[in-house]
Amino acid sequence: MIVPMEHLLILSTILFLLGLVCVLAHRNLIMILIGVEIMLNAVGLTLVGASAFWQQIDGQIMVLFLMAMTSAEVSISLAMVVYLQRCKNSVDIRDFDEMRG
Amino acid sequence: MILLLTLTLLLPLLGGIINACFGNHLPKPMPVIVANGAVIGSFLACLGCLSSASGDGLRVTLFTWLSSGSFQADVGLLLDPLAAIMALMVTGVASLIHLYAAGYMQDDSDQTRFFALLNLFVFAMLTIVLADNLLLMFLGWEGVGFCSYGLIGFWYRNTENAAAGRKAFIVTRIGDLFFTVGLLWLFALFGTIGIEAINGQVAGLDPTTITIISLLLLGGACGKSAQLPLMTWLPDAMAGPTPVSALIHAATMVTAGVYLLCRMFPLVSLSPIAMGVIALVGVLTALYAATCALAQREIKRVLAYSTMSQVGYMFLAVGVGSVSAAMFHLLTHAFFKSLLFMAAGCVINLAGHENDIYLMGGMRQRSKLVAGLFMVGLLCLAGAPLTGGFFSKDLILATAFAKGDLFHQAIYVIGIVTAGITSLYSFRLGYLVFAGDFRGEELPDDLPGLMKWPLLPLALFGLFGGLLNLPHLFGGYSWLSGWLNTDTDVLHLSLNSEYLLSGTAVGVFVFGWLIAHLRYRKFVRRESGLISAFLLAGWQFDAFYDRLLIRPFRGLCRFCWQGVEVGLVDGLIEGFARTCISWGQALRKMTNGQISNYLQGFIWGLLLIMGWFLLRAVA
Repeated sequence: MIVPMEHLLILSTILFLLGLVCVLAHRNLIMILIGVEIMLNAVGLTLVGASAFWQQIDGQIMVLFLMAMTSAEVSISLAMVVYLQRCKNSVDIRDFDEMRG
Repeated sequence: MILLLTLTLLLPLLGGIINACFGNHLPKPMPVIVANGAVIGSFLACLGCLSSASGDGLRVTLFTWLSSGSFQADVGLLLDPLAAIMALMVTGVASLIHLYAAGYMQDDSDQTRFFALLNLFVFAMLTIVLADNLLLMFLGWEGVGFCSYGLIGFWYRNTENAAAGRKAFIVTRIGDLFFTVGLLWLFALFGTIGIEAINGQVAGLDPTTITIISLLLLGGACGKSAQLPLMTWLPDAMAGPTPVSALIHAATMVTAGVYLLCRMFPLVSLSPIAMGVIALVGVLTALYAATCALAQREIKRVLAYSTMSQVGYMFLAVGVGSVSAAMFHLLTHAFFKSLLFMAAGCVINLAGHENDIYLMGGMRQRSKLVAGLFMVGLLCLAGAPLTGGFFSKDLILATAFAKGDLFHQAIYVIGIVTAGITSLYSFRLGYLVFAGDFRGEELPDDLPGLMKWPLLPLALFGLFGGLLNLPHLFGGYSWLSGWLNTDTDVLHLSLNSEYLLSGTAVGVFVFGWLIAHLRYRKFVRRESGLISAFLLAGWQFDAFYDRLLIRPFRGLCRFCWQGVEVGLVDGLIEGFARTCISWGQALRKMTNGQISNYLQGFIWGLLLIMGWFLLRAVA
């Protein structure tokens, strides 16, 4: 293992937090989706790192599945964003508050 | 005989049921004919079985009503001399009043209900009279109360009438409570509720117990008979139709209390205290009601107070130990008072449905016959010499006098003063109604014949009712006392004092007449002073009871309603609900539909869980 485990964990934590802040702070739906992708990739990075650390292949396989799932998720999400844009002519998250109590 | 006795009781019930169930489907005069036929049939049946009533009497047990352990109540009839004379009076007077009512009510659209209730009343009254046990008597007792309630409020569309009916029902119910307690106590003591069985066993009883039970019975009697202190309902009861006032509130139901005391006389007479209280209640009521009658303006209220006063005399008679004097006065009073009420109904019709005697006057010219009949009734009421009322009232007062001790002397004095007042208000009524010229608006109204002719026999009975129990002094031989097996009631006063007593009675009668003659012969509109306003309002008893009982009760009810129900119960439940609602409202604000907010919640939760695990790891 070239990179120490600590560095890897710190990097993935930073990535995760960046994604999280992106999800929470942005009002644009597409930016939120990007934030989610970043968080997912942070998790993926941890899994790959852990897999290398313990010399076990399971983590890497899981990351492959994760990538496949993510691509499916992104295609559905973007389709929905297009649909929402057509409905309200906006991608601002504040306009979609029909579920309020 | 047994069949006749059963018919006496059941015919009015049958008539009442027919009218109540099918009356509205029968062609027009049929309900009236059914009702009249039932009561007249009952009268004839009663007349038929009269001969078997003497001595021990006639007994019929129709069926066992209730039976539980040692408790047994039969529907059993007992026709002994006391019951026979009472039943004959009830059915006879009721027959004449039914005939009169047929004329009085001929234009009323609710005839069927009226006659159904009137027939049921006669049935209930006969149940009281003929019952051989106290429970059956109580059934009739409640029955007359119910029918009285229904008939006082007969024209219930006027709220005042309905309220008067309710008042009568509630006030008599207070008395009924005493009666019930007495009844149950007697059952607890003797294990039986048969009237004869109880009367046969009382001799060995503890005097205090007898006194208390007698006073309880007196309480019941006071409620029904409108005696002090439960008398406020009777004047208001005049809201009912006139035949009802004549039948229920003059001749029969209000005398039920006297009848009860006569029935239980062997028990009551054992307690000198109870007897004294009965006499005192009677004479005070007589005085109270007579003074009230002096100031009344409505013709029927004058008669209502006079009824109360006369029933007071009957109580006095029982209290001084003379059942035959009580029954004698009960009979003559039933005749002349129902006569007076029915004639008053005629007068009201002739005056164009005017009740106020200040607006009458000159009614003599309207109908000589009605005026004559009314005056006959008034003479009997005032105790004019040789009328029925004279002899019966005289007998009561003489019996009180003959007791001799100071208490009874005082009662005699109050009684004789009351007799003078009675004469005064009777003639006041007569002068105001019949003398002078008509003071109201001209509204001539014709009388149907049925409203006049039934009055004639009553006038005759009233005038010659004295023959029933003519004292030896006047050449009679006290038939009624003999019939009732109460020969001890026949007075043995010296000839001189008897003449003196009769003379006094005549004296107060003439005295009352003279004052009325001087004061009311010519109608003068007087300013009503304080005293007459006080008397008009019945000594303010209504206001007094209002302060003493009704307002505190209302206050209690308001506390239970506003305090307990609205404040406590509703407050608790509504407060709980309100808390839940406000919590809900507060929590609602959290779900504002903004996804970032929800995600924030996730994050905080995540941090919390992670913090928890960290703490665990450190510890």
